[in-house]
Amino acid sequence: MKKILSVFCLSLLSYLGATAAWAQEKYTVSGYVKDRANGEGLIGVSVYVRELGTGVTTNPYGFYSLTLPAGQYALVFSYIGYEKTTKSVSLNADQRLEVEMSTESTQLQEVVISTEKEDENVRSLEMSVNKIDIKTIRQIPALLGEVDVIRSIQLLPGVTTVGEGASGFNVRGGDVSQNLVLLDEAPVYNSSHLFGFFSVFNPDAVKDVKLIKGGIPAQYGGRISSILDVRMKEGNTKKREINGGIGTIFSRLTYEQPFAAGKGSFIVAARRSYIDVLAKPFLNKDLRGSRFNFYDLTAKVNYRLDDKNTFFASGYFGRDVFGADFGFGWGNGTATARWNHVFSNKLFMNLTTYYSNYDYSLESDRNDPDAKDKFEWKSKIISKSIKPDFTYYLTPNNQLSFGGQYIHYDTRPGRAIAISSGERRDISLDPRYGDESALYVGNEQKISERLSLQYGLRYSFYRYLGPGQTYEYEEVQRGERKFPVLPGTTYEKGDVITQYGNWEPRFSINVGVGSSASIKASYNRIAQYMHLLSNTAASSPLDVWTLSTGLIKPEIADQVALGWFQNFRDNTYEASVEVYYKDLQNQIDYVRNSDLLLNRYVEGDLLFGEGRAYGAEFFVRKNKGRLTGWLSYTLARTERLIEGVNNDDWFPARFDKPHNFTAVGIYGLRERLTLSSTFTFASGTPATFPTNRFEFNGWALPYNVYNARNNNRIPPYHRLDLAVTLKSKKKLFKVGESEWVFSVYNAYNRRNPYSVYVRQNEDNSLITEAVRFSVIGSVIPAVTYNFKF
Amino acid sequence: MFLLVSCEDAIDLDTETGPRLLVVDGWITNQPGPQTIGLTWSKGYFDNGPSSPIFDAEVVVSDDAGNTYPFTFVRNKLYYQWTPPTDTTRLGRIGRTYTLRIRHEGEEYLATNRIKPVPAIDSLVYREERFPIQPQEGPQEGYLAEFFARDFPGVGDTYWIKPFKNGKPNGNDPGNISLAFDGAFSPGSPSDGLIFILPLRQSITVNGLFEAGDKVGVELHSITPETYYFLVQVQRESANGGIFAVPPANIPTNIRNANPNGKQALGFFGASAVSKAETTIDPQKAGPRE
Repeated sequence: MKKILSVFCLSLLSYLGATAAWAQEKYTVSGYVKDRANGEGLIGVSVYVRELGTGVTTNPYGFYSLTLPAGQYALVFSYIGYEKTTKSVSLNADQRLEVEMSTESTQLQEVVISTEKEDENVRSLEMSVNKIDIKTIRQIPALLGEVDVIRSIQLLPGVTTVGEGASGFNVRGGDVSQNLVLLDEAPVYNSSHLFGFFSVFNPDAVKDVKLIKGGIPAQYGGRISSILDVRMKEGNTKKREINGGIGTIFSRLTYEQPFAAGKGSFIVAARRSYIDVLAKPFLNKDLRGSRFNFYDLTAKVNYRLDDKNTFFASGYFGRDVFGADFGFGWGNGTATARWNHVFSNKLFMNLTTYYSNYDYSLESDRNDPDAKDKFEWKSKIISKSIKPDFTYYLTPNNQLSFGGQYIHYDTRPGRAIAISSGERRDISLDPRYGDESALYVGNEQKISERLSLQYGLRYSFYRYLGPGQTYEYEEVQRGERKFPVLPGTTYEKGDVITQYGNWEPRFSINVGVGSSASIKASYNRIAQYMHLLSNTAASSPLDVWTLSTGLIKPEIADQVALGWFQNFRDNTYEASVEVYYKDLQNQIDYVRNSDLLLNRYVEGDLLFGEGRAYGAEFFVRKNKGRLTGWLSYTLARTERLIEGVNNDDWFPARFDKPHNFTAVGIYGLRERLTLSSTFTFASGTPATFPTNRFEFNGWALPYNVYNARNNNRIPPYHRLDLAVTLKSKKKLFKVGESEWVFSVYNAYNRRNPYSVYVRQNEDNSLITEAVRFSVIGSVIPAVTYNFKF
Repeated sequence: MFLLVSCEDAIDLDTETGPRLLVVDGWITNQPGPQTIGLTWSKGYFDNGPSSPIFDAEVVVSDDAGNTYPFTFVRNKLYYQWTPPTDTTRLGRIGRTYTLRIRHEGEEYLATNRIKPVPAIDSLVYREERFPIQPQEGPQEGYLAEFFARDFPGVGDTYWIKPFKNGKPNGNDPGNISLAFDGAFSPGSPSDGLIFILPLRQSITVNGLFEAGDKVGVELHSITPETYYFLVQVQRESANGGIFAVPPANIPTNIRNANPNGKQALGFFGASAVSKAETTIDPQKAGPRE
């Protein structure tokens, strides 16, 4: 292993050395692109060299670098929603060029016909990538008026959800645990508040959201379906800014301030639900101690030491707390420290270290420490990582990226005690440890005006580490629980219990067709060493993340995608059609009556198999004018083949929804009045219904003679949401702005089924009935007030 | 607050009906008196008419001590019954293994089960209770009953706790099945030899609090792990909806055809030893509210 890595590094270095030699008569222009209003670095700004017809885009820190032959150039900086900025450069030495861009003054402005193309989506190598800027997210009608990142990305092609209130999201047929959700590069293990109704990201602190569904570049790994890269705001470097809002669920407050003469800034954002505060006076004495709230705190500070060094520290802490005497809570905490260093004009480094923690607890008799009967259970997963990433801007036609990552996992599936009649029993499970290392190198190469490539390779290496106890399992019957062979094997600290290595090639190609269209294709392989054991329709906060072991093999996905990208009417419309096929290995399923919590022999309750997902995504987006928004249609299948399930035949996964249509429209009616609407239609999710009933002990019980899984489908889901945003005429405290947002969720009051299931009638166990369960069965109006000064 | 918006309603559903199968509804105990076994046909899931009984089968239970107990069809009860020679004669004995043999329409179905020892119920107590809000069932103020018993040492003892009220089974719907694996709920976590944990002890208070004068009772049945898993699945498949539903799976059976290629059967042949306790709620003797 070590040998492979050192060869890998050596060849990388020699490549860098060789290329440096033939790049000598050229000069480099580099710098940061920022928002004029608040000094935030802008991600993905297109920097276009008019004379050469070539260009680059800014990285996640707003940095760009272009190495060009000496000469006079006009650099055009363009970014959706911002006014185009052109800078003249006489390049006869390396130089820095810092650029600030302004937002388009008003949406009602006439479309300016421009000569340069803002067709980043056509020209870039990225495919299967969706970005929604936070401004758009804010304008989409939201459930209970609470602007939500994850609910918004569910409106994109290829993204679905199990149902209303389900936590997380499904991308191209993957389950919720196969998405790498990054908040400033630290993984967030549970992205939900209140089970799944709201996500943990405070919209006031979010700068950029990017979802990568395919063609995943080599710097990402660890989850096989998608990367949701959420970047936090850095904080206004120009002036103090306060944002806030009062909504139906949350109250929000964000404070931003520059320091050290604009060299640094910080942002602190907090949200708290306040239903409990409002309810308190109405609760009688017994319930007064009850807790029912969720909150999060996001903070970030950055300091720019000089042109070459910028430091960032950011943190997130959020919790959900429920219960009175019986308590239940969960939460994520992440802390990230980053150092951006510009080695030379061409070599950019970002070094990230993070700490991420997810924990939950269940506790009875919270108020009585001496309770004779008590149950207490805490579970935790801690990951710590260091991650250097380098970008080497070789030439405008070659952008090399390389780096690595090391992650240490400390998982504590359950520290639990049970006290029964004064007898105490420790029923804890042993912690499990592991680590994951990766090295990658990738290059983005422009071969000609029409042809560009991105290719890369990632090697990931995982170890399941001692101390620990492992068991072999004996199969009694295929598809049923396997029983441990005792006493098992004990490993000491320092032992490597199991290890896996995976080569993960990544490849994308872009072939230009005409002036405003391109064909793109990509392939990626990704391995996942961390698995969420969840057998429920929607994943629950109690689900346990489990490391790969000898029996739980790494999940591996191979995906190919092919797409056509075209822009119309001077980039007013962007359109794409993509098809993909994904092959999934080592997928996890569960025996019937599986017992996944506090079970030291949980591996015996797991079943393994493979998956396949394929589909076509159609997407049209209008970026300019009074009316903006998009239409998206996805035709897709996702299926599993699991040992002993469905007679060893393929069956649709729980979140398989063949048809998915969404329409999002945002219309600037007047200067201060914006209307928006979303419509969603999705096929019903699969369901398993019995074919027969049999009677036992006075109960009518279901039975499916074909032993099938997901052989039926529930009725389709559709919903219309509306919102009106009204900006106040009057300035808040003479300087600020404020707005009212009125929204209606589920406008035509459809009782969309979350599930349809069968049961006995509650008054007579011999009467059977089918039940439709709807999470939201009515129109939900809401009002939110937002302010900023 | 989301409870206010979420809702459930009964709907019509068209489902395919599979071929009918023989269903066994049998359970023997170590209690004196007659023992019964029902045989019916399975039918379409939403067919809520009475089940067709099978009356022309040959039904015999035998034990590993060489005894056989023939069951005969009782026309007015629609089940098969073994009638003891005297009122105090028992069919089931602790420690013995029982085999059920059914011959019907050329098929021979077999099932075995074992009667395991059952711990004594140490006490049955009750205390005053008042819920902070009016519950859906029963009074807001009343009595909460609790029984005490201790799991046998040794991992893998399984029990079925059956509540009684005024001499009748109480909360006998599948959603209320109360099962113990050693002293707690499930096999994964070690609870061997414990006094049953609080939620199990109080599981005899179902469908609301008791009132003064009510007779509260409990039967503790020792069951085999196979029976435990059968009942766990019965419970799961009886109320398997909502956000955290698990994928439906078939309820297992312990009935097998002597000919592996013969017709399949459904249902279960259970066997248990029983401990009982019963008391009448007397406000004078009730424990104080906690």
